[in-house]
Amino acid sequence: MAVTSQELRPGADLGGTLTARQSWSRLPAWLRRVIILAVAVAVWELYVKAAHVSHLVFASPYAVARSFVSGWLDGQIAGATGVTLEALAIGMAIGIGSAIVFTVLATWTTVGQDALMMFTSMLNPLPSIAILPLAIIWFGLNEKALVFVVANAVVWPIAINVTTGFRTVNTTLLMVGKNLGLRGWRLVRDVLLPAALPYIISGVKVAWAFAWRTIIASELVFGTAGGSGGLGYFINKSQYFLNIPDVFAGLVTIAVIGIIVEVGFNMLERRTVIRWGMQATS
Amino acid sequence: MKNQQSDVSSRSQPDVKAKEDGPVTSSAPLLSVEHVKISYRLKNTLVQAVDDATFTVMPEEKVMLIGPSGCGKSTILKAVAGFIEPVSGRISFAGSTNITPGPDRAVVFQEFDQLFPWRTVLDNVVYPLRVTGRSKPEAMAQATTFIEMVGLGPARTRFPHQLSGGMKQRVAIARALALGPPMLLMDEPFGSLDAITRTRLQGDLNRLAERAKVALLFVTHSIDEALLLGHRVVVLQGAPSTVAAVVDVRDINGPDDPHYRSIRRSLEDLLGAPGEEEPDGGN
Ligand SMILES: Nc1ncnc2c1ncn2[C@@H]1O[C@H](COP(=O)(O)OP(=O)(O)OP(=O)(O)O)[C@@H](O)[C@H]1O
Ligand SMILES: [Mg+2]
Repeated sequence: MAVTSQELRPGADLGGTLTARQSWSRLPAWLRRVIILAVAVAVWELYVKAAHVSHLVFASPYAVARSFVSGWLDGQIAGATGVTLEALAIGMAIGIGSAIVFTVLATWTTVGQDALMMFTSMLNPLPSIAILPLAIIWFGLNEKALVFVVANAVVWPIAINVTTGFRTVNTTLLMVGKNLGLRGWRLVRDVLLPAALPYIISGVKVAWAFAWRTIIASELVFGTAGGSGGLGYFINKSQYFLNIPDVFAGLVTIAVIGIIVEVGFNMLERRTVIRWGMQATS
Repeated sequence: MKNQQSDVSSRSQPDVKAKEDGPVTSSAPLLSVEHVKISYRLKNTLVQAVDDATFTVMPEEKVMLIGPSGCGKSTILKAVAGFIEPVSGRISFAGSTNITPGPDRAVVFQEFDQLFPWRTVLDNVVYPLRVTGRSKPEAMAQATTFIEMVGLGPARTRFPHQLSGGMKQRVAIARALALGPPMLLMDEPFGSLDAITRTRLQGDLNRLAERAKVALLFVTHSIDEALLLGHRVVVLQGAPSTVAAVVDVRDINGPDDPHYRSIRRSLEDLLGAPGEEEPDGGN
């Protein structure tokens, strides 16, 4: 419940009259999250201790933390993360490159636009992981198949978002640009791209979310047979050897990377589209 | 020239305004619009916006376009700016009939969303100057001067979304004026301003137009504004519009002028409806 202005009137004895609810919502957001996390971890630890859960099924937070730290220190998790991120980066680069080509075609030609609309409506709803079996047949059980499914996960959301962004650029802004004598690439760089930035960022965000889930899922599908050496492989291998703390450490790594990228996107948005009042939603 | 600008600020002063004040001496028009017809394509139908427009603007001349809402004033301005091609007729600017958009006809649009949202107020004015070849220090100095002139000095580090509608229009005005083009195309630039700010900016524009020797094509709804700023008034009529009359108002010196009432009345008659009494008319 929100604190009403009456309760905040000067002279009121705030310290004495605050309810627990009010003092909780008064804490900074990060602190509230840290407290919830600490409580969750404590409950987890107590449960594992008290219920005598088998080590082969469930790991305590302490064991997970130990695995996490040693995994990063001895390079096992770091290596696996590197392998995964490398395939992801190549896949995303290819996906983004193709998206740019499609976007250019779709923005400047009607045939391109029709083709893009058709392919997007057909392929975008299809989870990219679903084409992994085909990719394995075409490329084999190797990194190329991973790169292919990642590129496919990335290309459609970016192409459709950027094209929409370009096509909906405010016509007055375009006229202002042309009035200044801007043409060709200069007009694209100084007017179209920044004007379409909200769409570009949301396209890349969606693409990242798809790509990240796709590559982890694909590595898990590969199992230990693929031997790609990525995070999915690390989890599979740990499971195979019943090293449950390592399985959890792998999951934590995946979640942490997801959080870091999310925070990066939020920072980028705060510095650009939110700062400029260009945010389409919210 | 000097006494004309003082007319604007202090109209009570009885003054002698010489005929040679106006830019009539130059014989070739800077802009000429001849029998221009303009249509918009809406899906499969053509919407005719302008039926037949003919008028000229001499170098340094201030021509007002006046007419009821929807009669095609903005359309004519956009055609002159090179954004719309007429269906028929001819537009020529500075001797060329090849009309493409360019900074020699700086535009202040009617729309509020004409500022780059990702640039600050200052950057919105500096950037066009840089694009058109001014050095950085020159662009900064020029931009600062004009931002001060429209009274936005304190807001120069803000982004457009943090400004009111009228403030945005003032930035757009500063941006166009700072470019110092041979011709300014302004589409109801003062429409969203309060009477006091409007009067001040009208005075600034008058002074500036004298100093910078700029030709002006200025769209307005207000007869008083047209009389205050213009050398000539092009009255549009009907939709699609035609030119009802071109009235020379060079010699009218503010509401105290004996001819003011009669000219105002005849413009009202041409517009077919009583013009709205402008609050700033009497000052
Ligand atoms: N992009 C467009 N597509 C189709 N029709 C248009 C477009 N822009 C304007 N029109 C039509 O052209 C006519 C003239 O419009 P214009 O904007 O030039 O009027 P205006 O004289 O500037 O009016 P106002 O004083 O209200 O600004 C109107 O009938 C309008 O509906
Ligand atoms: Mg208009």
